[in-house]
Amino acid sequence: MVFLALVFALLSYVYYATAFQVSKEANDAVLREYRLLESTYDSGGLRGLNEQVVERSAAPGPLYYLLADQDGKVISGDYDQLPRLPASGSQSEWGEFPVKVTTEDGVEEHKTYAHFGRLLNGPILVVARDMRESAAAASRMTKALTYAAGISVAFSILAGLVAAWLASRRVELLSETTRKVMAGDLTHRARVEGWGDEFDLLAQNLNDMLARLEKQAHATRTAGDAIAHDLRTPITRLRQRLDEALGSTPDAEADREALRYAREETDRVLKTFNAVLQLSRLNSAESWRLTRLDIAPIVEEMAELYEPAAEEAGLVMTKGRASPMMVLGHAQLISQALANLLDNAMKYTPKGGRVHLSCGQRADGRLEIRVADSGLGIPPADRERVKERFVRLEANLSSHGAGLGLALVDAVAELHGGDFLLEDGLASGAGVGLAAVVVLPALDGRDGQRFR
Amino acid sequence: MKVLVVEDDFELARTLKRALEDDGHVVDVASDGVTGETMASVAGYDVLVFDRMLPHKEGQEVVRDLREAGVSTPVLILSALDGVEHRVQGLNAGSNDYLGKPFNTDELLARVRSLWHGRDRNGPVTRLQVGDLEMDLLARTVHRGGAKIDLQPREFRLLEYLMRHAGQVVTRTMLLEKVWDYHFDPQTNVIDVHISRLRAKIDRDFEVQLLHTVRGSGYRLEA
Repeated sequence: MVFLALVFALLSYVYYATAFQVSKEANDAVLREYRLLESTYDSGGLRGLNEQVVERSAAPGPLYYLLADQDGKVISGDYDQLPRLPASGSQSEWGEFPVKVTTEDGVEEHKTYAHFGRLLNGPILVVARDMRESAAAASRMTKALTYAAGISVAFSILAGLVAAWLASRRVELLSETTRKVMAGDLTHRARVEGWGDEFDLLAQNLNDMLARLEKQAHATRTAGDAIAHDLRTPITRLRQRLDEALGSTPDAEADREALRYAREETDRVLKTFNAVLQLSRLNSAESWRLTRLDIAPIVEEMAELYEPAAEEAGLVMTKGRASPMMVLGHAQLISQALANLLDNAMKYTPKGGRVHLSCGQRADGRLEIRVADSGLGIPPADRERVKERFVRLEANLSSHGAGLGLALVDAVAELHGGDFLLEDGLASGAGVGLAAVVVLPALDGRDGQRFR
Repeated sequence: MKVLVVEDDFELARTLKRALEDDGHVVDVASDGVTGETMASVAGYDVLVFDRMLPHKEGQEVVRDLREAGVSTPVLILSALDGVEHRVQGLNAGSNDYLGKPFNTDELLARVRSLWHGRDRNGPVTRLQVGDLEMDLLARTVHRGGAKIDLQPREFRLLEYLMRHAGQVVTRTMLLEKVWDYHFDPQTNVIDVHISRLRAKIDRDFEVQLLHTVRGSGYRLEA
């Protein structure tokens, strides 16, 4: 209804604007004619003017003429008598007069809109237009407008129906997706039409949410197996060792050795357990208080902490220039993520290798902390997988660590609304090395917008 | 010294009591928050060890109320909730230290001793001395046997912490927390390397070694 009212209002406006324009143009034509005749009078006198008026009123056309002498006696023209002119001091003005027109059907009286005035020495000149002409134009226009209105109303109703149908269909598709997901199929995704409208946005958000849920569900599923493996195995080993100690003949030294072993093994289990706990805290919705902080000094201090150990391990550790880089973050978590990356870099870079620690702004405006090494690297095909919990590559299965280090870095990056990337590192004889990059959204004066 | 342990897990309380007694302390045990609060406010304990999750009254709440009542005895909170956020909460409630469960017994003993010693020095200290090793906190200088030793700022802070806790075992975790302010354990033994660099500066040219490694626990600075 509102729409119809708007269409009506718009059409009315167009009608009045156009009608106004039409009569204005007609008036201009009248005025031009008047001026022309006026100049004819100036050059050819009353006689010349009379010739023109006689000629023009005889010719068919939309304009009417009248020439009268100074006493008001008609000399020539379409009017049979001088209309009653309003008394006025001005030289020329406008007025409405009837005129008798002879047509095939007889004599009709038309209303005219006239420009009139007294010329030099008193003769009166009238030039007028038939008001029926503009009325006819206006009525033609009204007709056209009515058609246009009808068509546009019909179209808009049709378009409205189609839009409503499309919308309900897309809502139906979205709710279909949610129903399937509720039924347990986390892999189902809503279709994004690519129209860039609100429905696409909604579908995209739904898909992002599902991807996250699926990732977590997957993590939980694999974590269950992995915890079983990573905790049950050492506990079983421990149990066997204790059985062995209890079953053998008492020997103080052997018993102490078994106890030391038991302590080390439990420490390992506890460490894994703590790491799992921390990861689930990071992944859960538990709110972490993020504060405005500069990551440059964090990187600086971490470099200072690791530099001696790296040197001891026969590695050359360098660090890039750091300027203030503000983020909304958790200093301890960022430090811990960085420590994990440095631990890894040192563990997998052979003696004589290099580790380069840097932070800076990326081309896309975000900030990054980069730990690049010249070590063994990770094949590109495995780079996504190693970020998952409890994943250790075949090559390193024998080494200690529960495979939670990179998962923690990934979780920390996600908590900050950033990304964790694994790329080629420093090339060396051994390979391309590895660069672990934590990308964090920048927080600065210009676009210091952050969520969470 | 006199220690009160408030812990509702009977087995853990028993082990704690024995470990602390073996370390030379007199130990009382309470098994719920309200009893613990009453005992802590009446008897003169040197250090209080509170579990966080306690029957009747939460350990952290007890600590807050004790502090409001003017009891300034140092408190160590034990808790299974050992995330960074929980530690900060615990410290804000008025406790002096926070140890996550499960913990290493040596770690606990070292921290209890450190709390007691920390309390001992109330006036502002400007000089520290261990054997012939001297530290001037105002001039930021270190001398051993009269010879000046140049230290990096971090080495200075590390040595200051060790000297303030001279004679006690200081664990790697304690050093990371107090000297570097990191509340997590790196895999690599980064602390050991810092210690050995410090040792090279203060011990290498001298006959008597001051900085000792305590196997399985940490370090001790002692004349």
